[in-house]
Amino acid sequence: MEIIHLEGTEDTPKIILDKNNGIFEISGRSLPEDSAEFYQPVVDWLEAYAKSPNDKSEFVFKLEYFNTASSKLILDVLSKIEDVKNAVIRWYYHEDDEDMEEAGQEFSELVEVPFEFNTY
Amino acid sequence: MSEEILKALTQLFAIITKQDGGVTEKERNFVITFFNQELDQDSVKEYLALYDEFTGYGKEEDEGEGVEVKKKKLTSVRDSVKTLAICRKINKTLTQKQKVVVLVKILELVASDSNFSEQRVEIINTVSTVFNIDKEEYTLIESFAFNHTEVRYQFADILTVSSLQADEAQHLKHIYTDINGEIIFLKINSVDLYFVKYIGHDDVVLNGFIMKPGQSYLFSNGSTVKTPKGAALYYSDLIRHFISDVTTARISFNANQVAFRFPNQALGLRDINISEGTGKLIGIMGASGAGKTTLLNVLAGIEIPSEGEVLINGYNIHLQKEQIQGVIGYVSQDDLLIEELTVYQNLYYNAKLCFDGKSEEEINKLVLATLESLGLEHRKDLKVGSVLDKTISGGQRKRLNIALELIREPAVLFVDEPTSGLSSRDSENVIDLLKELSLKGKLIFVVIHQPSSDIYKMFDKMYLMDTGGYPVFYGNPVEAVTYFKKASNQIDAERGQCPTCSNVNPEQVFNIIEAKVVDEYGQFTNKRKVTPQQWHEKFEENFTLKKVPEEKESPPKSLNIPSRLKQAMIFTIRDTLSKISNKQYLLINFLEAPVLALFLAFIIRYKDAGKSLYSFRFNENIPAFLMMSIVVALFMGLTVSAEEIIRDRKILRRESFLNLSWNSYLLSKVIILFTLSAIQTLSLVVIGNSILEIKEMTLSFWLILFSVSCFASILGLNISAAFNSAVTVYIIIPLLLIPQMILSGLLFNFDKLNSLIGSKGEVPLVADMMASRWAYEAMAVNQFKNNAYNAPFYELEKDERQADFKSAYLIPMLETKLQQVMSQVGTENDSVKKIVEKDLNILRDELHKEPFRQGIESLDIQALTPEYINKEVEGKLRNYFENLNAHYVQIFNKAVQDKEKLIYYLENQKGLDYNFNKYKDTYHNESLADLVRNINVSDRIIEYDGKLLQKIDPVYNEPSREAGIFNYRTHFFAPKKQVAGLLIDTFYFNITVIWGMTLVLYVALYYELFAKALRFFSSIKLPGLKK
Repeated sequence: MEIIHLEGTEDTPKIILDKNNGIFEISGRSLPEDSAEFYQPVVDWLEAYAKSPNDKSEFVFKLEYFNTASSKLILDVLSKIEDVKNAVIRWYYHEDDEDMEEAGQEFSELVEVPFEFNTY
Repeated sequence: MSEEILKALTQLFAIITKQDGGVTEKERNFVITFFNQELDQDSVKEYLALYDEFTGYGKEEDEGEGVEVKKKKLTSVRDSVKTLAICRKINKTLTQKQKVVVLVKILELVASDSNFSEQRVEIINTVSTVFNIDKEEYTLIESFAFNHTEVRYQFADILTVSSLQADEAQHLKHIYTDINGEIIFLKINSVDLYFVKYIGHDDVVLNGFIMKPGQSYLFSNGSTVKTPKGAALYYSDLIRHFISDVTTARISFNANQVAFRFPNQALGLRDINISEGTGKLIGIMGASGAGKTTLLNVLAGIEIPSEGEVLINGYNIHLQKEQIQGVIGYVSQDDLLIEELTVYQNLYYNAKLCFDGKSEEEINKLVLATLESLGLEHRKDLKVGSVLDKTISGGQRKRLNIALELIREPAVLFVDEPTSGLSSRDSENVIDLLKELSLKGKLIFVVIHQPSSDIYKMFDKMYLMDTGGYPVFYGNPVEAVTYFKKASNQIDAERGQCPTCSNVNPEQVFNIIEAKVVDEYGQFTNKRKVTPQQWHEKFEENFTLKKVPEEKESPPKSLNIPSRLKQAMIFTIRDTLSKISNKQYLLINFLEAPVLALFLAFIIRYKDAGKSLYSFRFNENIPAFLMMSIVVALFMGLTVSAEEIIRDRKILRRESFLNLSWNSYLLSKVIILFTLSAIQTLSLVVIGNSILEIKEMTLSFWLILFSVSCFASILGLNISAAFNSAVTVYIIIPLLLIPQMILSGLLFNFDKLNSLIGSKGEVPLVADMMASRWAYEAMAVNQFKNNAYNAPFYELEKDERQADFKSAYLIPMLETKLQQVMSQVGTENDSVKKIVEKDLNILRDELHKEPFRQGIESLDIQALTPEYINKEVEGKLRNYFENLNAHYVQIFNKAVQDKEKLIYYLENQKGLDYNFNKYKDTYHNESLADLVRNINVSDRIIEYDGKLLQKIDPVYNEPSREAGIFNYRTHFFAPKKQVAGLLIDTFYFNITVIWGMTLVLYVALYYELFAKALRFFSSIKLPGLKK
């Protein structure tokens, strides 16, 4: 499978999806102009990945901020991860960022994937 | 709305409003208003507290200034995710329509303080995405809620109403009305919802509530927006603007110079000129007795005008019925529902009769859709019930009555007083419905009585009538008020409606029309200020009819009537269902026969003194039992059918607009009644026969009684079709039944009737018209001849009895006659001569009939005249009589011997458990035998009308084959009947006769001969009674 590697900017997150090395990460700030368009490749990639996943997949979310439109797409991404066998989500938040912690908890209630919360 | 959803909404409101500077007072007030609409006072507080908690309303911002500036721009991630969670929750419970309503509410909330910041809009946008609302549609809703007029202009799903003329308005859809500001309608296609909002300072009323300017309202089915000055805006009127491709067939309706005379020659209508086109609601009003209903009936084609014509698209509705079949619908004032059926069934069978081509599913859909459009869908499985025993309300009944006509979508609909007896709410609903229909392109005429102001104003035009059938006004309803005010020189005449409440008082019009002259004491006299004629003259002066151009196309019709056979099936099923659902009716009809049979048979089953066992053979009541069972069969047949047509008459009248087959209808009645008769008579026979131990006669008795009952059913239908009230019919029943009893042949001997009606030796003709007589004879003769005991011996006994009669009575009689002739033949006395002639005549007849001719071969029987007769002839005859006697004695003896042999044979036949006496006890009834053999008659042979008649043993006396082709007539209890030289067994002959009579009655029913005869007789005027 091809690797998705997007460098993060002021408005878009850094995204790495690398099946062979088992690295799945979304980090940074997410306020893209058109979030649906931005996240579409990610959603597609996950859909393909769910068909032949690694034995174990660890998805890392290390977000500083995302806007409302992005939150909808992040939920879509999480829903795709739901279909991946043996997937775990590592939700990183800054130890001062209560909002991000709570957002993670809300997300964990909306999808059926195990969440692990970590501070950085 | 559930608590959970309301909580979710509260959170959603809170999240959105706390963005960008927090909640403002206006926004909070909006939320309070929303809560007030949804909740009671206590809960409002509770939810408001919740809302305040979520938004942090009233709390001081404790965060540092610097942080806040940065945060203000961005929605917190927690709120974003929370919004998602809430929307997901809502997605699971609310329908798409409800979600759209929620979205509109949220947008409005934001719009309430015009704070359309990026963050707020972004959240709402996300909400709409999660709600799966189309992007395009979201933009539309947003522009509607936010009053983004420029955006709005592009949409075809927005309609504006304002005082701008159509060409000035920039919207694609626009209606002009005299109003301050603007009313905006929005259609949301995906969920088929309409919203309305008003911006301006007038009091615009939506369904009776004043609209708050700027607030969006759901514009639901049947809603009406009323502006203070302009015309009301009806739901369907607006829908028509949204549905672009509405193609309604064009209709022109013209009544030209119509006049109508009642049967008593009084003029009921005069100078009626009406011209209308598609999609109008016309009211017809007038004082009672002014001829409103008559006008409606004439316009609908029920009554034929004595002058003038009524044309639909150029077709004369009274003469060219073929072309306008199915075009006209008529809802009469009466209730035309089948009470025993459910709301759904009433409509369903009606639809079945209208649409032949449609499948079950299509009809089902159509019925449900119609019920839904009339707000009756929740009542669909309720039995309609009678007016007294109500299960659905008066308004619902009325609407269902209208639905019956509506379902086939007639292009022109006539409705007679649809609001009488209804509450004002129900009345308004009904008229709203009619208005909506007219907006869909129907032309509707409504006779209306004392309408409320709102109802009155809904009409496009009013046709006012005055006593005597004079038209006095034809035009806009509100103008009627000004016209009559002006005509009577009242002040303020220009104002038709109340300036403050814009109410119209239609009563005012009639007060003016019917104003009475006041006498010098200030009392009203009976004289009117302006007579109907004067009003009419004024009307002729002031009004010129604007003729609607005659449409050339043939009027639209959706009617597709099923074949006659299918109609009969539908009628049968419908009628059966309605009967089955009437438990009382079923119970009585199915218990009547068994109970009567039980009662009758039980009472007449008795033991003779000294006998330990009941014996059928010696039961003297059997002849009476046969008679009674016939009476019961007749009675049941008559009573069960007598009300059938009367009850359906109103329904028939409505269905007459469908041109359904009368024959199919009758056939359905016949099928049901005959089935019922079959069951009733079977239970009668089975129970009666088993108690009285009448063996092996079940089938034959049943066949006879069933025939009789069917005959009575058709007779009952005849009287039901002829008379117009059930009471009359039940009074008629004894009139039909008692002659049947009198002339059945058992109660009164046919030989002992008034000589005016009967001759001896033959059943009188008047009795031949009685089914009872045929039935009785068939039962008695068949029981006697064909029971297991008598059957083997019948032919032998016939020979025996007939030989005995001849040798013992006939031959001595003939000898006496010869003696008398010989002693008087030479006389000159005229009267004696006559007797001689007559006696010779009898001799000739009897000798001619006699098959035994030994000894008279040489005699010319026909020449046996006073001149011809002499000693020699006398000698020959005397000799012949002796031989004849010997011949019959021989036959008699042989028959007796043969019978004994047969008994011996039967009793000794192996495998045949035959015992002569036992058989006689079991199968033979002495009383019945005595009756059919007429044992008790004193004169066994009588001379009547120049003929010798055998009175004894009628059941052995077969009629002559030479009686004449159609001369079926013979004595009562004859074993066979002669017709066209054939001898037919009485049993089969009589049953055939009964069915023949039934058939004749059916034909009479088909042509309604009884009803026509009745009308003819009632039209004859007795000159002496004329006033």
